[in-house]
Amino acid sequence: MAIYLKGKGNISPQQTWGDASLLDQPKPAAGNRLACVEPDYTQYMDVRQLRRMSRILKMGVAAGSMALKEANITVPDGIITGTSYGCLEDTGIFLGKMIENKEYALNPTPFIQSTHNTIGSQIALLLQCQGYNQTYTQGAFSFEHALLDALTLLADEPNQALLVGAADEITNTSHTVQQRFGIFKDEHNTLETVNGEGVAYFVLSGEKGPSDVVAITAVTTLYNADEATLSAGIVRFLKDAGINASDIDLLLLGTSGNAAHDAFAETIATTHFANSTQAHFKHLSGEYPTASAFAVWLAARILETKAVPQNIVVKNSGRPVKRVLVYNPYFTKYHSLILLEAC
Amino acid sequence: MEQLMADLKKQIIEALNLKHLKPEDIGDDQALFVEGLGLDSIDALELIVLLQQHYNIKLANPQDGPQIFKSVRTIAEYIQANKPS
Repeated sequence: MAIYLKGKGNISPQQTWGDASLLDQPKPAAGNRLACVEPDYTQYMDVRQLRRMSRILKMGVAAGSMALKEANITVPDGIITGTSYGCLEDTGIFLGKMIENKEYALNPTPFIQSTHNTIGSQIALLLQCQGYNQTYTQGAFSFEHALLDALTLLADEPNQALLVGAADEITNTSHTVQQRFGIFKDEHNTLETVNGEGVAYFVLSGEKGPSDVVAITAVTTLYNADEATLSAGIVRFLKDAGINASDIDLLLLGTSGNAAHDAFAETIATTHFANSTQAHFKHLSGEYPTASAFAVWLAARILETKAVPQNIVVKNSGRPVKRVLVYNPYFTKYHSLILLEAC
Repeated sequence: MEQLMADLKKQIIEALNLKHLKPEDIGDDQALFVEGLGLDSIDALELIVLLQQHYNIKLANPQDGPQIFKSVRTIAEYIQANKPS
């Protein structure tokens, strides 16, 4: 089944909103961290509403607004969000205050807003959207599960328009903690992996409109798969979608700059997609659990504009791009596949 | 009393993140909720915590909240009347 993209909003470490020169000049990481380029939030909400929101909430509301505006929809029929870490900033504040105040007289706002479902809830509150509202928190499969839920819902009620997206943020505390695992580049290793963050929302419907040009046609996840299982999984995924690997015009690969992890994905790319254009995206988004949402935004933009930004291409087949496969490995355990097609 | 109200205005702005306001923008007798500053029930909880953190006063009866948190002056009067010795 295909679901059609009606609108998209993306706040990322690149200039992915606001003007036509998106991605022309990629912004480099500051050290081993890529932080979002944020808009003026007063364009999207009243200053009195802003005061209580943490950064991820503001990014969520703004990205959701961008997607709805592009889709020309005021209130969606439902909101589905994927987030691995949830609202980390408020979680950090709440836990910090517990220690500072010896578990006495704790401020309610960061506690209330520390839960993962605050992002989808905040969007619903501002829109007065009383429809279906779900948040998926399956680590690096959170966005994929949000998409799978949308596919299921729209199979039943294709005329609905759902706001579907993903959000994850870096905080100083989370960055410090993650750095201790040695997963980002620093002076002690040869990695190129940088920490990333981002919020992307999409308006999706099961009914094709006259101006729709992008469809998401299949989504799957493969957990803890070895190379043979993954290879077979990709073949099966494409076969179920009615195509084979040679039908993929562009492979958008989520390799992160960790040679040991990337070798696995590079082998898959070479084995199955030798005739496809191949491109990377995590030098733009950084590595984070819901980076596949950035990749879907990028794939949709490529299909809309019929142009692949040269700064992401690693192998150019010269083929016109009508079908994009996003293959996003997250470290060695999580592998997801999202198929997008021009329609 | 004047100094206490001035301190309270700064603390309210800080605690409720009212960055668009300066202390002098809040009148001593201005309503804090609904038609006044537009505060809501979550702000009321923050004000209860503010009293605990800054003045070591625990609201004995939450139902008194609407009267106590009516304005900066009523909060200051409550603090003066209930401040631990």
